[in-house]
Amino acid sequence: MELYAQSAYELTRLLHSRQVSALEILESVLKRIEAVDGRPGTLDPGEFTEEDRRKVHAFITLTAERARAQAQEVDRKLAAGEDPGLLAGVPFTVKDIFCVQGTPSTAGSRILANFVAPYTATPVARMEAAGGVMVGKVNLDEFTYGSSNESSAFQPCPRNPWNPDRVPGGSSGGSTASVAAREVPLSLGSDTAGSIRQPAAFCGVVGMKPTYGRVSRYGMIAFGSSLDCPGPIARDVRDAALMLQVIAGQDHHDSTAAALEVPQYVALLEGGVKGMRIGLSPDYFRIAIPDIQTGEYALQPLPEAFSAAVHRAAAALADMGAEIIENVPMPNTRYGIPAYFVISRVEAASNLHRFDGVKYGYRTSQPVQDLRSLYRKSRAEGFGLQPKLRILMGMYVSAAQYSEQYYRRALQVRSLIRRDFEQAFDPQGEYRLDALLTPTTPTTAFGFGEVYGDTVLMQYADQLTVPANHAGVPGISIPAGFASDGMPIGIQFLGADFTEEKILRIARAYEIATQSEEWRKACPQERQ
Amino acid sequence: MTDYEAVIGLETHIQLNTLTKIFCACKADSWNAAPNTNICPVCSGLPGVLPVLNEKAVEKAMLLAAAMHAQIQSLSFFDRKNYFYPDLPKGYQISMYEAPLATGGYLDLPLPQNEARRVRIAKLHLEEDAGKTKNAGGKRLIDFNRCGVPLVEMVTSPDLRSAEEAAQYLTRLRQLLRWLGVSEADMEKGHLRCDANVSIRPRGAAYLNPKTEIKNVNSIDAVREAVQKEIERQAREMEAGHTIESWTLEWDEDSGKLKKMRSKETEADYRYFHEPDLLPLHISEEWKKSILTALPELPLERRQRFVTQYGLPEYDADILTAERSLSDYYEQTVKAYGGDPKKVSNWLMNDVLRMLNEKGMTADQLRLLPAHLAEIIRLIDEGVINNATGKSLLEKVQASGETPAAIVAREGLAKVSDDAAIRSICQEVIAENPAEVENYRNGKATLMGWFVGQVMRKMRGKADPNLARAILEELLAQ
Ligand SMILES: [Zn+2]
Repeated sequence: MELYAQSAYELTRLLHSRQVSALEILESVLKRIEAVDGRPGTLDPGEFTEEDRRKVHAFITLTAERARAQAQEVDRKLAAGEDPGLLAGVPFTVKDIFCVQGTPSTAGSRILANFVAPYTATPVARMEAAGGVMVGKVNLDEFTYGSSNESSAFQPCPRNPWNPDRVPGGSSGGSTASVAAREVPLSLGSDTAGSIRQPAAFCGVVGMKPTYGRVSRYGMIAFGSSLDCPGPIARDVRDAALMLQVIAGQDHHDSTAAALEVPQYVALLEGGVKGMRIGLSPDYFRIAIPDIQTGEYALQPLPEAFSAAVHRAAAALADMGAEIIENVPMPNTRYGIPAYFVISRVEAASNLHRFDGVKYGYRTSQPVQDLRSLYRKSRAEGFGLQPKLRILMGMYVSAAQYSEQYYRRALQVRSLIRRDFEQAFDPQGEYRLDALLTPTTPTTAFGFGEVYGDTVLMQYADQLTVPANHAGVPGISIPAGFASDGMPIGIQFLGADFTEEKILRIARAYEIATQSEEWRKACPQERQ
Repeated sequence: MTDYEAVIGLETHIQLNTLTKIFCACKADSWNAAPNTNICPVCSGLPGVLPVLNEKAVEKAMLLAAAMHAQIQSLSFFDRKNYFYPDLPKGYQISMYEAPLATGGYLDLPLPQNEARRVRIAKLHLEEDAGKTKNAGGKRLIDFNRCGVPLVEMVTSPDLRSAEEAAQYLTRLRQLLRWLGVSEADMEKGHLRCDANVSIRPRGAAYLNPKTEIKNVNSIDAVREAVQKEIERQAREMEAGHTIESWTLEWDEDSGKLKKMRSKETEADYRYFHEPDLLPLHISEEWKKSILTALPELPLERRQRFVTQYGLPEYDADILTAERSLSDYYEQTVKAYGGDPKKVSNWLMNDVLRMLNEKGMTADQLRLLPAHLAEIIRLIDEGVINNATGKSLLEKVQASGETPAAIVAREGLAKVSDDAAIRSICQEVIAENPAEVENYRNGKATLMGWFVGQVMRKMRGKADPNLARAILEELLAQ
């Protein structure tokens, strides 16, 4: 197997046994990127070509020189007998929502296109300190606002490696595309409503949203600060565990990062599921979409392939000794999206205030009469449609006269959603679950232009993932086969606060149970 | 003309004297620093940064809240106050709104004739400061150094009734802040900032008229002057049958005039919501207790105690408690001395305070310790030295750090009260100055002072002047 296609875990093993050098790994990866990625996203992409259509376009910025220096340092440490760290020599990409010193940190937006960060986000710094080799910054929906990557100001945007006419999902679409296309084994993403798990499901890779507070948010450009979680994206569960091991833990730059021990995720990974209680909830097998006119919820069952994938997984886990608990009520799931609409936009509008054309980033080149017109023109020209929609909605629902009926109410809904999980996981409760097993998404990856433009419908792609963000609990999406359209299906395990080691263990057990299944042999290259 | 009374509320911003800023590790104090040199990604609001609360700022605010008799809340929240301004790099200020650090509270302001005015506190919370902007050469310049400096915003109810009371409140507040050691409280340096809300009404009325807000007042005197002028302006307007409009006024220090900044628009909507980047602020009983054990006796309480315990006049008590280390110094001296507390007060008010002013020191910085001062007073009481020697000893102890007794012994400063020794010097003086003796005996009685002076000079000041005078009178009468 080519080096670029190896798992992170395997790469560190090869490196430590001195069969390869970090530089060799890196060169293999850079060659792979050159072969499949195509041109990076830019603000001024010109004509979209047939060649563009076939490529991945994960990257905004390739940092090959920085990566070479990092790889050489790892090789030097190895030669000197020093400990090069847990991720020694492992190439990774970073969603361009994280600041990395000396690199453009664009958030996929024109307004930050020229912003070069003077400091490095904590999770990235930890990966580099552990010997990881960052090869570049990858594309995303503008400021992470989307589920398809189509909203990025940097085009061409990423395409799904399994089918270039489908979106990779989002907002961490560049991350999941780069991992699925075997450009890198690991990528750092962020998840506010499903932005790691949904594109992971769409691209057939593993994506984890840790517990809120498990991983420091320092250096991640904020969307919904009370919902945002950085997390790992990998091709298998072990790599995700390895990466989480490195990025998790307390941070004196982030007071919301929990002061808790970080378990040995990799060592605990193959503990099995014997005696674990894994729940299924009917509320995760249907999708509720409100009627615009009446406000009534129309309930639609999920496509058969999705419930089948979940039930197959449940059966496999039961075979391994887990107890499956059916009919766990999660009645507030359907309100997740409306509440998210309000809360995330209030926080987003406030978080976007700092982009004003004064200190950094885009400033209008038009003449301005006064400060106010400098603000207005810079923001009008610098922000794309999605940030503008979020600012408008966020300003509206947080205004003094509406705040009670929208924002406050949304916060109450959020507490109810949290209560659903508390009851399901309560060790003294009726269900006493170790994890809830659900589909990750209601559909497979959709085609370009199919949903984009319908902001509400786009948002409903997150219906099964957003409750975990409201509740703060951890979730992991892993591949579970393919739908009839040939696109990957993801299933999701949700756990109680800070029980990442449990859901990783369950996810790994499912991987082991299905490792010899035919669908596992598929890989995107053959489909291209 | 109607008899009006003023209704005044003060909105103060108090810069806490912590070492570092409230949400980052930059130094809090940027005095004399070049613009934008004391900043970091956090306080300059770069994308992706997060605030981390400086607990020292919370502790100082807790001390102030307790001193204002406010209730420190066991749970409070930071909120975002959203608005655009170039010196506010995040586009929102982290402040407190719905659940502030403390609620309630008051300051009993002493008035003449032993009365007091209770000034209630309407608002007391922690927040971060913004930067500074200025216009120069057609450009707007921004300095972020001050961004993130910890502030307490403290707003009084409209309980003050005159410009003088407003000034008194600020004087007492400044005294308290320094007393507690929570702020340098220097208005000229912006450590203590004040906006005044002023309205008037017929004396005795219970309703409130529209108020004006006076901004940019940078000293206590300026507050007194600006508020007084505004009260007079409003009275003139009302007498002329005009209604008072809710203007925002700016005090122009140079011209001593109030200028209209703007008509008060409708209240801005700051879209407050809890700051998700900070955890709720829990103040446990233990934490509170550990901080409040450091809460000293407050200046006004101590002032009252000095009157009752030591029998000091209010005037003395007021001056001696103006500053904490001076009042400590006084009490330590009284204890060490054991005699009349008023006598100690006289020494402090006449001599020690002058010394402090000349040297620009506070009492705790003196080498002349309370025990030294007590010893000097006792040496005089016991007749070992005279008063003038005692006063000269103050400087000598301060200069050398030696004890007064040691200096007296080394320099031979003990008063000579030996009748024989003084008598022989007096005889010498009379023998050496026949002309003056002649004049004295011819009725020029005022020469007695001169004779005493001659004796003192020969004895290098150590003679008991009263004894010298008695002996001289006796000898010259012969
Ligand atoms: Zn700073």
